[in-house]
Amino acid sequence: MSFRNSITIIASPRPRVGKTLLARLLTDFYVHEGRTVSAFDINSGDGTLAEFLPGQAAVSEIADIQGQMALFDRLVANDGTTLVVDLGHESFESFFALADQISFADEARRRGIAPAILFVVTPDQTSIDAYRSLRSRFPQATVTPVHNELLGPAQHRDKYPITGSGAVQVKLPALAHGLRRYIEKPPFSFSEAQLANAKDIPLNVHIELQRWLRKIYLEFRELDLRITLADLQFTIKSQL
Amino acid sequence: MARPAVILVGADKGGVGKTTVARTLLDYFGAHNTPTRAFDTESPRGTLKRFHPAITEVVDVTLIPDQMKIFDTLGNAEAKVTVIDVRAGLLSPTLQALNDIGFIESAKKGQITFAVFHILGPSIASLQEIAETARFVGDASYYLVKNHINETSFFEWDPATYNSYFKQIKGAEEITIPKLNEMACEQVEVASVPYVSFVANKNAAGEAANYSFVLRGYVRHWLGNVWSEFDRVKLVDLVSPKAESNVRQVAG
Repeated sequence: MSFRNSITIIASPRPRVGKTLLARLLTDFYVHEGRTVSAFDINSGDGTLAEFLPGQAAVSEIADIQGQMALFDRLVANDGTTLVVDLGHESFESFFALADQISFADEARRRGIAPAILFVVTPDQTSIDAYRSLRSRFPQATVTPVHNELLGPAQHRDKYPITGSGAVQVKLPALAHGLRRYIEKPPFSFSEAQLANAKDIPLNVHIELQRWLRKIYLEFRELDLRITLADLQFTIKSQL
Repeated sequence: MARPAVILVGADKGGVGKTTVARTLLDYFGAHNTPTRAFDTESPRGTLKRFHPAITEVVDVTLIPDQMKIFDTLGNAEAKVTVIDVRAGLLSPTLQALNDIGFIESAKKGQITFAVFHILGPSIASLQEIAETARFVGDASYYLVKNHINETSFFEWDPATYNSYFKQIKGAEEITIPKLNEMACEQVEVASVPYVSFVANKNAAGEAANYSFVLRGYVRHWLGNVWSEFDRVKLVDLVSPKAESNVRQVAG
C-alpha cells in the first residue's frame, strides 16, 4: 500500500497496556499484506514478541553501543523491508533519547523511510507528558495514539491531541475474555493458515477471532494510509 | 584587511588530546567559512595532517626556517586563521620563542589576534604548567580546555588548587570538551577524516562512505556540544574583527 518503507515503533512508558499484542497484530497484518517484515523486540521477561513470532522478530538490546548499532543501523538500512519495533516500557526513555540524539527520524526521512510511532494511551500524567514530548521531539514522525479497548472505554482524546498529518486514533478492539487464552501461548501467529490449522481452536472461536482480526486490520489499513499521506505531505513540504 | 589570528593548541604533556581539539577547531572554522590553515608540530609525521591533509603543514617550531614559514606569512596568507598544534612539552618553549621574535609584542599592539588553547590533563601535574606559561601569555585570549573525550574517570582536581592556578591568568576562560563514545572515537580514527566528514558519511576523497549511522549520530551530537562551547566563548568574534561583524549586523 505504501509507496515507501515504514518503521513503526510501538511504545508506551507503561507496562501491560497491550504493546506486544499490538506488535504481533501489526507484524501479522504486514505479512498478510504480502510484505517482507522484520520485527525488533526490546523487552525483558516472558511472552515477548520474539517468542510469539520467532520467524519475524528478533531480540534487540540498546544498553550498549554494539546493540545500538545493530538495531539503528538496521532500521535505517532501507532494504525494502517493513519494520516493526516493540519497545518495552523499561527502554522507552533510553530508546527515544538515543533516537533524538542521533537524529534517527531525520535520517529515516532522508533515506526514504516513513517513521511512525504507535502510542498506547492511558490516562496517567507520565504517559500524557511522554506523548507530548514525542510529538515535539519527532516532528518528522507520524505519532498516532492507540486506544486499547481492553483498558476501558475512555479514549482520552482531550489528553492525546491528534492534529496534523497522522490525525487518526487507532482502535484496538477488545477480544472477548474467554477467547484470549487461545492466542496467549507462544509461538502464535494470526496468519490464516495457522488459525485454520490450530487443532485446539474450536470453530466458533475461530470465527470470532477472524471477525476481531478483520476489525483490527481495517484500522491498520487506515493507519497505513495515514502514514503514507503524512509521508507524502512531508516530502512535498521539504521540497518546497 | 582582516587581522590575522593565531591559535596555539598545546599542553605540557602528551596524551591529553591536543590534536582532537585542534581537529574540532578546524572543523568549526570550516563550518563558519573562515579560511584556516594549520601547522602540525609533530615533526616529522603529523597526526593532524592525517585528518586535514589539504590545509595542514608539518613543521618544527624550534627551527627558524619553520618559524619563518608560519609567522612571516601571517599577513599575506589567504587563511585568516592559523591553528598550530604544538607538540607535547613544547608549549612553554614555543611561547618563549614567540616572545623572542616579538610576536607576543605584536599581539599586544593589536596587530595580530592571539589565542592559546591550553589542554589540561586529568592530573594536577599539568596544572603546574599553567604557572609557567602564564608568564608569556600577555594579552592573549587564554582558554583552559578540560578534555574529557577519552576520560572514563573524573578529573582528580581539588577545586581550591585548580582555582589558584586558574586565577594566575587574567581573563582565562574554561572550555569543556565532553566525552565521546570510545567506539565512535575509534572509528573516526580508523577513517582518518575530519569529524564533519564522518558525520556527513564521506571518505577522505569526499565520496560516499559507509560509516555506522549510530556512530555518526554520536559524533554529530558530540561535535555539536564542542562547537557550542566555542560559540559560548565567542570564538568566531575573536578571529573576525569586531568592526566587520558590527557592519554585518547593521547590514543584516
